Amino acid sequence: MKNAYWANLFKNWDKTESETVTIIKKLPIFADLNNKELNEVSKLLHDRTYKPEEYVFKRHAPGEGMFIIQSGAVKIIVGEASGNSQVLAELSNGDFFGEMALLEDEVRSAAAIATDHSRLLGFFRSDLQILIERKPALGNKILQNLSKVVCTRLRKTNELLMQAQSDK
Amino acid sequence: MSQEKNYLQLIYRLILTVIAFGFLTIIWPYISSVITMLIFAFLFSTILLPLVDHLESQIKSRALSVLIVTISLISAIIIFLKSFASGMLGQAREFSSQIETKGYAENLNSLAVRLELALKKHVNIPDIDSSNIVSKINDMVGDIIQNVVSLAGTIGGFIFTAIMVLIFTIILLANYHEFKKSLVQFIPNKYFEMGLRLIFNVERQVSNYLQGQLLAASSVAIMSIIGLYILNATGANLTLVVFIGIIAGLANLIPLVGPFAGMLPAILVAVMNNIGSEAALSHQLFSTIPSPFYILDIILMFLIVQQIDNNLVTPILVGESVGIHPLVVMIALLIGGTLIGPLGMLLAVPTAGILKVVGREIMFLTRNAHLL
Repeated sequence: MKNAYWANLFKNWDKTESETVTIIKKLPIFADLNNKELNEVSKLLHDRTYKPEEYVFKRHAPGEGMFIIQSGAVKIIVGEASGNSQVLAELSNGDFFGEMALLEDEVRSAAAIATDHSRLLGFFRSDLQILIERKPALGNKILQNLSKVVCTRLRKTNELLMQAQSDK
Repeated sequence: MSQEKNYLQLIYRLILTVIAFGFLTIIWPYISSVITMLIFAFLFSTILLPLVDHLESQIKSRALSVLIVTISLISAIIIFLKSFASGMLGQAREFSSQIETKGYAENLNSLAVRLELALKKHVNIPDIDSSNIVSKINDMVGDIIQNVVSLAGTIGGFIFTAIMVLIFTIILLANYHEFKKSLVQFIPNKYFEMGLRLIFNVERQVSNYLQGQLLAASSVAIMSIIGLYILNATGANLTLVVFIGIIAGLANLIPLVGPFAGMLPAILVAVMNNIGSEAALSHQLFSTIPSPFYILDIILMFLIVQQIDNNLVTPILVGESVGIHPLVVMIALLIGGTLIGPLGMLLAVPTAGILKVVGREIMFLTRNAHLL
């Protein structure tokens, strides 16, 4: 009887975090965010489902934000859809893409196509902008993490460029 | 075969559209008032949203932010209405005491005679009978009293609508972002990013436009109040200065017609307060142009306020974000006025602004449709 009472009183204590929070807490963009902040971010994410071979976005389409793969698989391709295309990356659960669109209002440099039944989480520039206005501290943390991701990418590109030049 | 299928699809869509339109026409009388309330609630929440969001960033509680904004707004409206009612009551008492004195009727008669003489002097109108003018004024007063009685009936309905709009606004403000998220989930994948872009841009521009309009109206109100105080300093004997200013500011929201409508209460109060005053009757603007009851002074003051507003305040506050061509403004005003009267005129220009922003975004969407 006593056990049932305590179990009922603390029934929410062992409540597991949502599936979305479990996925996004592993991403570098949401690193250093506490559980409350992660919950806040998860409320902004858009849950989308895609069929196999469905475009998530096309090349040169205006980019509005990033996508996180909750389940399924997505390939990133450059070139013409008619044939001359090249697969840049094949992404699966927990990967993310399109994060540059969070920072700049530019067109997509590559296309993204779902290769399987996929559930993606969308995080868009307009939502980030509203988050920065409503919760500046949290918005700044995400922006800082985004800059870190972009810096890491730039450093890697520089290394690849230097390697390519030394290979010549 | 494929063409046949296309035709069938077209016919099917046409039938569906007709059924939907018919259904809407049948239920429209029942839902029109709720839809109007929702539109007003949406407009109010669009104006107040940045304030609530900003407050939330400071005090870190959405509910508390909505509560503070709402209570402040309700208090401001109650204070305004209360002082407006007491001001109007004072004005009415003063006016009725003026009417009760014998001198007032004589003054009104002498004013009519003077007016008749002045008109005959400048304009050649045959057969103006001053007693006729007085009887017409009496008839007008009777009409006004009748209108006031019917107005009391509509006030009840107005209060109910206002309370409902307030409740809708509070709910919208508290859950605005969640509502938006649950609505956008219905956009198909292909149009999702474009849809978000469209909604965000429209939202921002409409919000900026409405806030700009509100700021411009406030500046007109403040400038008018200052102008009326200056006129009082020169002996215009105007009362209800703050309310005349606020009414001028609100009227300013209606382009073209508004500025003139804003002058009327001031002129009315000036005539009411100065009737019987010889000095006011023979007042001259700049000691040269005859301006009985300071009417020309008031018109000049409002014209100056309008010029400052049009050339300085509005371009800075509202900007050119939703610049609408004057011809479109006139057409919008006519359509709004014909459809739902003065309220339609008030809503005509913001609606035209919203349609322009939506149109611009749809054009961008059409240009980039091949990329979707």
